[in-house]
Amino acid sequence: MSDVVPALEELWEAAEFDPNDQQKRAIQYVGRPLFLTAGPGSGKTRVLLWRTVHLIVHKEVKPEEIFLSTFTEKAALQLKEGLTALLGLVTARTGNYFDLTKMYIGTLHSLCQRVIADRRFSPDRQRPKAPLLIDELSQYLHLRDRNWRAILSELGWKNANQEINEFFAGRASVSRHHAVSSCISLFNRFSEESLDPPRLRTRTSDPTLLRLIELYEKYRESLRQAKPPVTDFALLQQEALRTLEDLDRRVGASRAGSIFKHVIIDEYQDTNTIQERLIFKLASGHKQVCVVGDDDQALYRFRGATVENLVRFPERCRTYLGTHPEVVPLNVNYRSRKRIVSFYSDFISRCDWRKNGKSKLYYRVMKELEAKRKDSRVSVIASGRDHPDVACAEIARLVKRIIEAGKVADPNQIAFLYPSLKSVQVGRMAGALEAEGLKVYAPRAHTFLEVDEAVGMLGVVMHVFGKPERGGYGGRDYANFFDWVDEAFSGAKALFSTDAALERFVSDRRKETRLVVNDYQALLKVSEREGWAMSQPYDPDAMKRPLLGADGLSRRAKRTFLSAYVEGLVRNRARTQRPFTLTYMILRATSLDWNILDLFYRICGFRHFRKMFEQAERVKKDEGPVCNLSLLSQYIGRFIDEYNASVLSAGFLADDRLQQTFFASYLYALFRRGESEYEDAEDPFPRGRIPFLTIHQAKGLEFPVVVLGNPRKNGWGPQRVEEIVYPLLPRRGGEPLDRMAEFDVMRMFYVALSRAKNLLVIAHYSGQGQSINEPFSSMLDDDFPRIIEFELETLPEPEDADAELPKTYSYTGDFLLYKRCPRQYMAFRKYGFVPSRSQTMFFGSLIHETIDDLHQHLIDKRGRNAQEQRA
Amino acid sequence: MPKSNGPDPNESIEDFIVRRFEENFQRLRFENGHGLAPEVKEAAKRQVLLYWRRLREVAETITDTEVRLSLPGQVTSKKRKFNIEGVVDIVREEGRTVMYDLKTHDPEYIRENLGEYEAQLNVYAHIWQNLRKQELNETAVIATRPSDALDAAWINRDRNASALEDELERWNPVIPIPFDTRHVQDTIEKFANTVDRIEDGVYIPPPPSHLSKKEIRDETFATRVCRNCDVRFSCLSFREYLKTYRPKELPKFRDIYEDAGAEQDREARIDAGLET
Repeated sequence: MSDVVPALEELWEAAEFDPNDQQKRAIQYVGRPLFLTAGPGSGKTRVLLWRTVHLIVHKEVKPEEIFLSTFTEKAALQLKEGLTALLGLVTARTGNYFDLTKMYIGTLHSLCQRVIADRRFSPDRQRPKAPLLIDELSQYLHLRDRNWRAILSELGWKNANQEINEFFAGRASVSRHHAVSSCISLFNRFSEESLDPPRLRTRTSDPTLLRLIELYEKYRESLRQAKPPVTDFALLQQEALRTLEDLDRRVGASRAGSIFKHVIIDEYQDTNTIQERLIFKLASGHKQVCVVGDDDQALYRFRGATVENLVRFPERCRTYLGTHPEVVPLNVNYRSRKRIVSFYSDFISRCDWRKNGKSKLYYRVMKELEAKRKDSRVSVIASGRDHPDVACAEIARLVKRIIEAGKVADPNQIAFLYPSLKSVQVGRMAGALEAEGLKVYAPRAHTFLEVDEAVGMLGVVMHVFGKPERGGYGGRDYANFFDWVDEAFSGAKALFSTDAALERFVSDRRKETRLVVNDYQALLKVSEREGWAMSQPYDPDAMKRPLLGADGLSRRAKRTFLSAYVEGLVRNRARTQRPFTLTYMILRATSLDWNILDLFYRICGFRHFRKMFEQAERVKKDEGPVCNLSLLSQYIGRFIDEYNASVLSAGFLADDRLQQTFFASYLYALFRRGESEYEDAEDPFPRGRIPFLTIHQAKGLEFPVVVLGNPRKNGWGPQRVEEIVYPLLPRRGGEPLDRMAEFDVMRMFYVALSRAKNLLVIAHYSGQGQSINEPFSSMLDDDFPRIIEFELETLPEPEDADAELPKTYSYTGDFLLYKRCPRQYMAFRKYGFVPSRSQTMFFGSLIHETIDDLHQHLIDKRGRNAQEQRA
Repeated sequence: MPKSNGPDPNESIEDFIVRRFEENFQRLRFENGHGLAPEVKEAAKRQVLLYWRRLREVAETITDTEVRLSLPGQVTSKKRKFNIEGVVDIVREEGRTVMYDLKTHDPEYIRENLGEYEAQLNVYAHIWQNLRKQELNETAVIATRPSDALDAAWINRDRNASALEDELERWNPVIPIPFDTRHVQDTIEKFANTVDRIEDGVYIPPPPSHLSKKEIRDETFATRVCRNCDVRFSCLSFREYLKTYRPKELPKFRDIYEDAGAEQDREARIDAGLET
């Protein structure tokens, strides 16, 4: 033990890290802004980790003076755990402890939330309250289900759906879903580009667009008026930027830019315009901004990302900060075998990235990648150029051989990547693998609702609440959805034929729902007869007796009116001038003791579903089904949140309202929104199954074996939203509209190809109606290595994952929880089932958080008193 | 939209507690998608207020709240790297340092299972002393759940203030934990084995006989743990437990209606969820 701070080299050695010269420079450089252009697999996460350690340990930057943003919360968590571990090495040598709790580390969204609520950004150092953030599904439901009609009628906009759909898609369909989805993507772009309605109006004379701008204004108002006030992802950032600008305006100086000494942004290629402004604002004081990213891996234009932020970073530094950045390329690839690196480098360079085809300006940061792994044997192969059925079968046989030869530790090490999981090629390939006896995991192929577990469970639920009926509407989505309903419903019937207990259980529940509806109607009749208004206060003295006399009222409903507990509540409320209404009492008496989530967990107890849990409890396991069940519990939990359905009252059950909201509205929305809901890929993927992922889901991941299952992506031409927004932008000069799609497709495939560590397999389809994109078709020429000649023994053995960063386990949240019951741990902690009765957890958090607030308050108070005394 | 809710110099601490409690409740309600039954909510508020009244000296001397303790650089026997993390409150006063672990558990359970808590706090103490090189004189658990008598006295406080004072006096939520870091390595080893089991994916529930064991008073593991666990219906252990130890409850188990608990539980659930 010594007081001498260990040198960086000593720490590297202790952590078994051997950085190359570029990495060393990236870690240690301090001075101007820093621009790290990082190729795939170049160890950028480690570089960021060590750069942060270096700043804290050797440059004496306090953790709370660092702003470090990542693309996902998971990445942030990993960085935090890595920092804890590395700083722990220093603590062990010097005894200096580093407290990371005040460090800004997370996604830009979560950090924006913190900025808004951070005293340091408030002129009077008080803690402002941030609006609650809603995610994309909530945003959609907020607009579609709760505000759409009201806003349109307020605007007096008739036939709005048709007009909007005509405007976006050139087809005057009446679909509210399409109209709402289009509006949301437009609104998000407005927000991300900081295009305010007054300014927008001066830039267009298109009557529909002008009305959409009004709609945008109303939408923003509806968020502010929600209870509690909410905000969406895009507007949150505007709010954060406004917080910073307000601070500077009010203190009359540039304070907002001096609070963080270092601003570090990962995945910079996927940031948008407003984020860029925020970042430069935060860095305006110390000018120590470090951005890391790879323009070749930019994937999120459809969400407003502008890759120019990265490509033009040097110019932007001059504009915003009046200085130019130090550029450090991270070009050494540690991930992939040599030929894989050569293949994707060749691939990306086959596109003409020059501006106007001749100028010296490029829409790309040029780079020379170098593979650290020198094994130059064949590592990129294609199937025979064949009909998809034949090619898929060939690939499936290869995969089976790889697994049998033990060249991967688990089938989940082989990833199948697709531009979209809705392609017919996905079903073909999955079928081919299943024919070899292999299992796949593709919850997002088609839609999540179509996986077996969802079909089975929701089919059973449908038998409780009744099957929604097909209306007379047209539309392919609608027809598909009701085909799904039919399939689920008859699937459940088949289950009943093998499990009489399940059938009896379902029929009992169904009777129960009928019973409360009958009670409800009988009670309404009494109120009507007595001439009571439903909104009037419930007066037990006058009302109890007539209500109890309702025709055929069940014992369970009577119990509510006779309960001493309820009576106490009623008196209590009346005393506090907030009496229960008659409606409330009737609903209370006709509420079920269970909600859909309770029902879900009960149904899990029947043989068919119970087996899925049992499969996951053992060591040699198949986790696929239980993962799907967990997702389903999350969707049901979500329904309960969005529609206030934690108690199912007869008001919900009468007139098939539940059927309407749960099936025809909510599940239909999920069905139509398709795979876009859950973006974060589960990691690790369920054991025992081969994951099928979209290329977007594979971002940032790596796999020993990658199969590109469809080297084809259609749909050239810019997205409609881009066409609309482009002319409204004050700053032009980015990628031209007519090249965007081409660039985006190249980058997307580049991401897919660069995920592979040991082997990359490309499906080469041909035949009638089959094609693959250029440059694949030129690259997969007659000399290209094919599966048929591939020698399996040349494939490296699976390696241990010991290079991974350590994971953090909580003493109470992991160790004690597991000790108490490993199975409960599995369900709620490992697979993320949503508990139905989380009262104990809620209770605990409420007490802990309030006591923590109290302590914080007392500490602050003491600090202020001490300050005053000194003054 | 962002409204300022900074300190009002005239606000009393109890008003502050009530205000913050309400804010936290609203936020958690939004995040959880449901509320708490009014009685449960009141009980939670009571715990915080009683904590403040009884342990004012502790609360006012806390120097570091929610301190995240971390023990990095651990490796399991299967070569997995991991860190251990825990959260405590620290009081440093006049050269003495005390570490508190705040729990909403039943103090009786804690007193009867002291070993469990000892192991935990000793690991924390080890991190504090040996890693952070900080002084430590004492460790304790604060169990904020009041006794039934105190609860009753609180509810009747307007009528009988001295009874509340008496009960507060009698209530002892601070449970000192003998502090001895000699067995820390054992605990860390157990922790490491647990990490391996978690990562290997061993999730077998405890056997039915364990479920029938009495933990405190007359409450068995099945009542304390399983009863609040949504996945009990699909749990073989729980089924076997019912078959062996509670054959009369088995038919009820199949029926949601009967399993929703006593009348009070059912009504409380409605209170938490049905909007007035």
